[in-house]
Amino acid sequence: MTTEPISLLQQTFTEFGVIMVGLIAVSACALFYFRHVRMERPPVGTFNGRDIGVLLVFISTLPFLYAVLPDWLITCLLVLTFTSSLFIGYKPVVGATRAWLGIGLLIGLNIWTSHHLMGSTAGWQLWWGELSILVGLGAIAVANLYVQGGMKLQYVAWFALALAVYDIIFATILPLTDKLVAGYLAHPLDPLLGMRFGIDNYGVGLGDLLIYALFLTATYKAYGAHAARLAFGLIVVVGGVVTAFVPFLLNFFDTELDLLVPSQAFFGPAAFLFYLWMKHRYGRERTMGEYRASTDSAALTTTPAQPAPAPEPASV
Amino acid sequence: MFETGVRQFRMAMSMVWGRRIDTRNIGRLVDDVLATLAEFGEPGADAQELLGGPLADPKAQQEFATRGLRRTARRLATASPFYARRLAAADVDLAKLDLAGLRAIPVTTKQDLVERPGDFLCTDVAAYLTTRTTGTTGRPAEIWLSRYEMELWPALGALGSVLREDLRPSDIMQVNVSSQATAAVHLTAASCRLARTGCRLLGVMAPDSALDSLAESGATLLFTYPSYLAELVTSARRRGMGPDDFKLRCVNLGGEVLSPSLDQAARQTLGVPQIEDSFSMTEVIPVTGRTCSQSHLHIDLNSGHTELIDLETGEPAAPGALGTVVITPYFPYRDCMPVFRYDTRDVARRLPDGPLSCEASGIPAISQILGKADSLLRLGPADVITPRQLIDAIEALPTSPWPARYRATAHGGRIQLTLPAAAITDYGEAAARRHFAEAGLDVDLTIVSDDQATSLRHTRSDLREATFNTQHALVGA
Ligand SMILES: [Zn+2]
Repeated sequence: MTTEPISLLQQTFTEFGVIMVGLIAVSACALFYFRHVRMERPPVGTFNGRDIGVLLVFISTLPFLYAVLPDWLITCLLVLTFTSSLFIGYKPVVGATRAWLGIGLLIGLNIWTSHHLMGSTAGWQLWWGELSILVGLGAIAVANLYVQGGMKLQYVAWFALALAVYDIIFATILPLTDKLVAGYLAHPLDPLLGMRFGIDNYGVGLGDLLIYALFLTATYKAYGAHAARLAFGLIVVVGGVVTAFVPFLLNFFDTELDLLVPSQAFFGPAAFLFYLWMKHRYGRERTMGEYRASTDSAALTTTPAQPAPAPEPASV
Repeated sequence: MFETGVRQFRMAMSMVWGRRIDTRNIGRLVDDVLATLAEFGEPGADAQELLGGPLADPKAQQEFATRGLRRTARRLATASPFYARRLAAADVDLAKLDLAGLRAIPVTTKQDLVERPGDFLCTDVAAYLTTRTTGTTGRPAEIWLSRYEMELWPALGALGSVLREDLRPSDIMQVNVSSQATAAVHLTAASCRLARTGCRLLGVMAPDSALDSLAESGATLLFTYPSYLAELVTSARRRGMGPDDFKLRCVNLGGEVLSPSLDQAARQTLGVPQIEDSFSMTEVIPVTGRTCSQSHLHIDLNSGHTELIDLETGEPAAPGALGTVVITPYFPYRDCMPVFRYDTRDVARRLPDGPLSCEASGIPAISQILGKADSLLRLGPADVITPRQLIDAIEALPTSPWPARYRATAHGGRIQLTLPAAAITDYGEAAARRHFAEAGLDVDLTIVSDDQATSLRHTRSDLREATFNTQHALVGA
């Protein structure tokens, strides 16, 4: 790929730009969505600590699935994942019919461009642009699904910390992620948000965007607007600046691969410390119910009372 | 959240396939509901679906009932000595049993239960606990319950109650039902344990002590009988207590007729906004019913099949006619000493055909229970007076004679009504007669002294449980 090498610094700045655009757009839109759209949630169930475990197991096995499963099956799984999360996320916004149409169009176009438009930089850019919309919308939807489903800031912080460990292990000791990402690039529904400039691809992973979106919305829900501004600052500084430049300073990655940065290695610990400080400063997090009561005036949906087994039979 | 989905799926599968339900799984679901309420303040959409119903479509209801009846009958034919004989004698093909064919199987009566209790015990289940009927009519029947049943019912009950927020962790429930009603007491305590609700089991104690307890403990829920509620309201009024003395948010009643006058008085005096008049009966647990805002009785479809049978013909009661409520609890909701087509002898009226407009219209309904079949007064071929009519009229007297104590017989097409003197004190016989005439009751009044009141009509509030300091708390104080 490297026919016309550009300087590492230039690459770093480009990557920085891509990361910043991605994380600012996605986390801000996730918060906007959180404040204005109320998702349907299941009758019973709230996000708890064990759900984090389930997610971590899922994320840890994902790279191996990439390695083991045939491409068509991975594409099928990705289509299923994207379709369900986008449908859940955007049905309340645009209605079921338009959501299905939009999802079909986005995913169809992505699969088509993956197969037909990779010959030129313009083709790559179209592919990236379209994929970025898809991935951005997905991150916004999933972040809201979790936070509106009861994922507390506490869980987001632990999740980020666990992913930091994961990122460090997989990016340094077991450099599997990079190879897989590079290997899978240009396949349909590659979970990256990014762009191609010249001959290089610059991207930020869906997982990283999801963490930023989760962190911002969960902080807003837990502690309000002021805390959310601080969280946003942390995301920009650690998630953007540090993530983009520290690897450069440490000469962390080699130029042979398209860029991928173990962002959570930096952001995870920072987010966790931020959470501890918030908890120390503001106390207990607000529940979703308290949040709705405090700022959201949306009409409450009530469930009609129906007869069902009474708790206590008397006898006649 | 992921786990909750798995638990719901497991419970739904047990219900669909008619297998015994994992009671611990339901207990964990109760925890999930509590966590959901703690986070969101309310359950999500379609919470009632979790309880397996209601099946709104009549055809689906029929299919569900047919499956439940076949499953239950098949098991009884092998596991229950009594029903093995009965089903063989009825000569029905259990694989083809349907709602019409059901009538070939004779109803089971309380007498059957009292005379041959051992024959009802299923051979594939270990019995754990007995409970007795505490009704005022006839010898008590004794029902054996299995451990599974004693875990399943409170779990299902708690799940429904926390979803509807009938039980909250912030609640304290005071229970004034007879300690002899073992099942009711144990199940209430177990439901409260699962729902993390405080539970105060007091029995049918002196009303003044119960009132003190209500006021001091800040109980928010009360579970008792209508007659005992009547005594509480009467005592509270005598002592000058009012809504400010109590924190009750709901009173749950069962087992007796609740009159509108007593309902209203309890709301006023105890300041309780919600009174639930529910139907339940030891012999047919866990099938229960609820009274809706239009005074229908909606009996749960998921745990059993309910029929309303004409008192004379044994055929389904015609619209508008009286009938006795016949209930078959389904397997796997009842497994130790099950009954099939149990004739409760509780009389209700079939509602006119046509759709219901109440909040529970998805569940078929009958009228409220009007009284026991052998307490009906037949004044003429088509003129029947029900205990509910009499109790409603007596408890509506301006003297507030709660709970109604009376004896009624039919004589020459008229009602011979005996009341204690206190029921018409400062009101007079003539006014009382007019009062009853306005209620559509043509009565001949007989007044007896107040010390005979209790013997006129026994109520469950008479199952008084003594303590050493009853009524004499102030001695030596
Ligand atoms: Zn109704």
